[in-house]
Amino acid sequence: MINGISGPGSGPLSSPNPTAATGATTPAQGFGESLQAMLRGVNETQLSGDQAIERLQSGSVQNLHEVMIAVEEAEVSLRMLVQLRNRAVTAYEEIMRMQI
Amino acid sequence: MDILNTFKISGSALQAQSLRLNTISSNLANVETTSTPEGGPYKKKSVYFQSTPINFQQHLNSELHRGLQGVEVTKIVEDPQPPRLVYNPSHVDANEQGYVAMPNISVLEEMVDMMSATRSYQANVTSIKMAKRMALKALEIGR
Repeated sequence: MINGISGPGSGPLSSPNPTAATGATTPAQGFGESLQAMLRGVNETQLSGDQAIERLQSGSVQNLHEVMIAVEEAEVSLRMLVQLRNRAVTAYEEIMRMQI
Repeated sequence: MDILNTFKISGSALQAQSLRLNTISSNLANVETTSTPEGGPYKKKSVYFQSTPINFQQHLNSELHRGLQGVEVTKIVEDPQPPRLVYNPSHVDANEQGYVAMPNISVLEEMVDMMSATRSYQANVTSIKMAKRMALKALEIGR
């Protein structure tokens, strides 16, 4: 983020777009990729929780606690994702409020 | 995540304790059983716990985590105590002297064992709950 801010300042004012683009895309891509990877992970835990419930209902899994643990794991990871999203949105709003 | 390790450890304990409860209920159900497919009266069964290493995620497999162990039931052993002989000549399984071999199970002991199993189960459920609460508290940082 610091790189993105210092990028336009260091470059000439007449061409802020290329420097801003090169400066901003790399970290943004990194964050987007990591967010996507995390989203995929959270989705997998949700799916495994769903599958655990399904297996319990169909009778192939006998113990209740494993299902509950899978569901709890899904819940905690989902909440973490929601928190991360909230932080990302807050940071975005903070930047959008910035006076230039 | 670190709390997933707590889930794994406590989950193994939950599995072990519910198997123990199954064994106890088998003992209680067969407290009057005088004949089994193997012959002779039912023999009291008890579980045999053994600590087992939990396979953590690779990056967490540090020296610190190697000492943490879950639990599992490795075998269910039969009580070697001789059966209790009760005089009852009219019973189908009575021997020539009129004695019936009854299983050597004390209902009282089984009840106490059952309470112990239930409490251990509850303790492990509580540790899972606490791990979850700690994780959710950590998510409140900076809210």
